[in-house]
Amino acid sequence: MQSDEIVQRVNATLQEGFEIAPEKLVPDAHLFQDLELDSLDAVDLMVHLEDSLGIKVEGEAFKDVRTLRDVYAMVERLRPSNA
Amino acid sequence: MNQVVLTGMGLVTGLGNDVDTVFRAVLEGKTAVRTMEDWRKYNGLFSHVAAPAEPFDEKILPRSVRRTMSRMSEMASVASLAALRDADLTAPALNAERTAMIYGSTTGSPVVLEAFFNRLAERGGPEGQLGTTFFKVMNHSVASNVAMALGFGGPSLGTASACTTSSQAIALGWELLQSGLYDVVLAGGTDELHYTTAAVFDIVGAASRGYNDRPERTPRPFDRDRDGLAVAEGAAVVVMETQAHAKARGVRVHGRLAGAAYRCDGVHMSHPQTGAMAETMRMALGRAGVEPSAIGYVNAHATATPVGDVEEAKATAEVFGERARVSSLKGHFGHSLAACGALEVAMCVEMLRRQVLLPTRNLENPDPECAVVDLLRENHPASFSAAISNNFAFGGMSTSLVILSP
Repeated sequence: MQSDEIVQRVNATLQEGFEIAPEKLVPDAHLFQDLELDSLDAVDLMVHLEDSLGIKVEGEAFKDVRTLRDVYAMVERLRPSNA
Repeated sequence: MNQVVLTGMGLVTGLGNDVDTVFRAVLEGKTAVRTMEDWRKYNGLFSHVAAPAEPFDEKILPRSVRRTMSRMSEMASVASLAALRDADLTAPALNAERTAMIYGSTTGSPVVLEAFFNRLAERGGPEGQLGTTFFKVMNHSVASNVAMALGFGGPSLGTASACTTSSQAIALGWELLQSGLYDVVLAGGTDELHYTTAAVFDIVGAASRGYNDRPERTPRPFDRDRDGLAVAEGAAVVVMETQAHAKARGVRVHGRLAGAAYRCDGVHMSHPQTGAMAETMRMALGRAGVEPSAIGYVNAHATATPVGDVEEAKATAEVFGERARVSSLKGHFGHSLAACGALEVAMCVEMLRRQVLLPTRNLENPDPECAVVDLLRENHPASFSAAISNNFAFGGMSTSLVILSP
């Protein structure tokens, strides 16, 4: 999975699962402040990302995620090494 | 005794999503029941007829509240917004301490429950479950989700008695308004379509199996050839308030809820008890201070089950005599379970307003055992000012609501 594909899939998840307008999906967007998600949404976002990207978000992996850029980085870190 | 009036009604049904459209569809003899082709694949399910709701616009609800809703909460929220609009009210304008919301459904979302347990079995545990799932399946899912949709911060209750859920909510609302502690009650019920809901009835021989290729001919309440019910989905909500409160704000009154009762027979889970049904009707009449002879129309629950229709007809005859004019609307709508009580109240209010009685659809050859009352078979102009709406549910539940012209 290439970096641009990660961005594409994460953004698609946010558009489809959370009805966020594509123009809001910029790397610096803060999940809670700019994209108007909350802690309940964050739980579902992780499940959707696990399903669509085949990753496993365990324990602390999401703890420091604040912006969309952080989400991309997290996925990059967790993606299967043979991808 | 506080007089209780009905000032708002909101519907999502298989025959339309506003009271006028729905009533006209019933007057024209339309049916919402159709064949569910997709249901033919389920092993052991023999009833393939049901009544899906007409399309409605759930996007009027923000995603932030919709995320915890299944289809039933969406329908109930859309219907609630319509009912409040009809009553010229908004949630923020209500005195939250003197307003109660009472909503229910037969179960939490069956659609979401199936997905939850499928994944649970697939993964061997809760791995991969969404955080929002529980809020769609908990018993008070509809009550809480509608409160979120309206921004209502007062007392919220969830009635849970399957097919009497919304009529019981209305009866409980009537009692709350008698207490003097409340001015306004929003009451309603909703259920969403899922094959397991039909299966519940199919397993005990209470769902229609013989008309899968002729869905417009079933259900057939009181008819000789009835073979069970067809489940429906939808939502129905009423706004009730004390007459003094309605008068003070100068709102139009649709009708009056003169009395209400709900009881449990304590005898049998699935076999209706004629005596208990009649007792509930008498209790509602007694509370309303209305004599049986003053009732010009009886809206029957009659879902077209072989046993239920007979027992209900007998109970109705016992209270109102053989001249009682009776119909069931399940032949038009199917059986919308937790929604049907409030839906039928709305139809009674409209019948009183328009002075016309709606018939039982598909009633061609009255079963002699049911023909112990005057079973209406066509639209019937009538001069009347009082009606009673009866509903019954598994678990020995029965409810009766006495509705008067404004």
